[in-house]
Amino acid sequence: MGLDLTALSRQVRQMSGAAALRVADTAERTAHAVSRYRESAGEERHWARAADLSRESASWLLAHPVEPLGTARGLPERPESYALVASDGSQIDLDRHGSVACYLINIGRVFLRYGEDPLARLSSEPALYYRDEDLYLTDGARRVAIEGNYLSARRDVDEGVALVGLADEFLSDGLPCMALQDGTLIRWALSGAERFVQEHFLERYLAYLDAMRERGVPVASYISRPRSPEVVGTIRLMLCPDVDVAAGRGAKCDECSDVADGREPSCAVCQGLVDTDVLAGQLTEGQRGPLFISMSRINVEDYREHTIHFFHMRVGRELARVEIPQWVAQDPEQVDLIHALVYDQAARGDGYPVALARAHEQAVVRSADRRTFQSILEGSLYRAEAGASASAKKDSKSFIRG
Amino acid sequence: MQRIGEVIESSTTRFTAGAYELLEAPPFGSLVRAQTRSEGMAVYGLVYEIRTGSKEPGGRAVMRGRTYSGRNLYDGEIYHEHPDLAEVLQTEFSAITVGFVEGGRCYQYLPPHPPPVHYSVYPSDDAELAGFCESSDFFRSVLFAAQIPSDELLSAAIRAAARARPDSRDYLVRAGRELASLLKDDYDRLTALLRRIRP
Repeated sequence: MGLDLTALSRQVRQMSGAAALRVADTAERTAHAVSRYRESAGEERHWARAADLSRESASWLLAHPVEPLGTARGLPERPESYALVASDGSQIDLDRHGSVACYLINIGRVFLRYGEDPLARLSSEPALYYRDEDLYLTDGARRVAIEGNYLSARRDVDEGVALVGLADEFLSDGLPCMALQDGTLIRWALSGAERFVQEHFLERYLAYLDAMRERGVPVASYISRPRSPEVVGTIRLMLCPDVDVAAGRGAKCDECSDVADGREPSCAVCQGLVDTDVLAGQLTEGQRGPLFISMSRINVEDYREHTIHFFHMRVGRELARVEIPQWVAQDPEQVDLIHALVYDQAARGDGYPVALARAHEQAVVRSADRRTFQSILEGSLYRAEAGASASAKKDSKSFIRG
Repeated sequence: MQRIGEVIESSTTRFTAGAYELLEAPPFGSLVRAQTRSEGMAVYGLVYEIRTGSKEPGGRAVMRGRTYSGRNLYDGEIYHEHPDLAEVLQTEFSAITVGFVEGGRCYQYLPPHPPPVHYSVYPSDDAELAGFCESSDFFRSVLFAAQIPSDELLSAAIRAAARARPDSRDYLVRAGRELASLLKDDYDRLTALLRRIRP
């Protein structure tokens, strides 16, 4: 017997009821947070400083405003012709119960050119990794297997390297251009990693950003329906009784004065809110909100001149989050270009950038392909007389035994 | 002549080819030639079906004539605005095998092997078509083939052959006589066919 759907559906109904109650509560708290955010218009320098002061001691994520909080910039004019490259990856992770230690990364590569001479090139490039240096990172006597999060980190690097290759191949004709990625440019997954692992992947990732910068190709990433609460974190500072910028004091959640006095923390209204709840009201179709710097530790401490900035943009019923490195964010023309091109891509793709949808289609490894890959692998190992077999556990799961 | 496609499915009696250019399949009823593994041998087929759709199995095209911002795009403009369509859509054509050429001689019966998958497909020019239609033995294989629009296909092929020859009218009369002898038991079908090739 697999999933007991009768038992499950009762719980699903209960969950729906609870969700409906939460909606009303969230709406009220959102209104409160939004009004506090709007009151602070014009004080962005002040709150930027507060975010800097609180970076180490606040227990939430923070955003450092770079532009006026009320910014709602209209859609800039799009160049007649433009080109872009995009990449996306998928992987088959190391199967500990499988017959041999290896993993596969499949990178979807996209080039699109619009305008006078339209052209598209879509392709995918698989790579199988099985050597010791691919499977493990070593630092002296320590050895860390590249799987799970670390495999994702490796894939992120490979996606970046693919973009550099695409830029060299296609983006040298002087047309306005960009490189677009899916998801975030901030490598969160690495923040909890051991230092040498972090350095290994970040060095390569930042080298990719360096390479794009040298080529003059602005990089951006697109997050559909982002759930990050970084701007909300800064609103928490606005509500915090302990922040005193003039005295050089940021929020210290360990020594919260509200909690010490036995009250609920003043920032509790922000619990569970996300940035898009706050910014949704100020942006109409195609407009973008203010630029912020993400204050996550890995971004502030390790990204150098690539420090990731972000803005939100209205695309239909959703706000998308667009991330760009500092060298793009500091050039207003480039920011406008990214704004216009990303919006155009989303509009052509009915709400999600065409280039990313195509890159995903190229990269995705379907379950049928996965099975074929497994059987090719096993057949080939058998013929090579490499003496491979799956674990007893895996064998036992392959069918129900009578 | 430049190759126009490549065999993607092949069997003894028919083959399907993908066209290298989207929407550029050879016309219905035209004669195409598929290369085989032996140098001097090629298989002839008549195109009986042309289709365009997603390359992805089970995939379908979506409507794109009205953009996100409400602008209307028509026909060719849609392809211009979405260059990626040429990469994700594919035009295919299927042909029924009507003969083969080996060592310069033409035979109007099934070849020993179908054309291999991934081998090139070429259109035939007027001279080749006229040469192939010197004999009418292939009429029978087309007329009695199952699951294809055989009458439409044969009449389209005969009209094309007539256009490719200087003696168009004579050819049509000859083809009509041939049809009459093949369909002597089916008057209705014969007259319908003759109406389709009437000079």
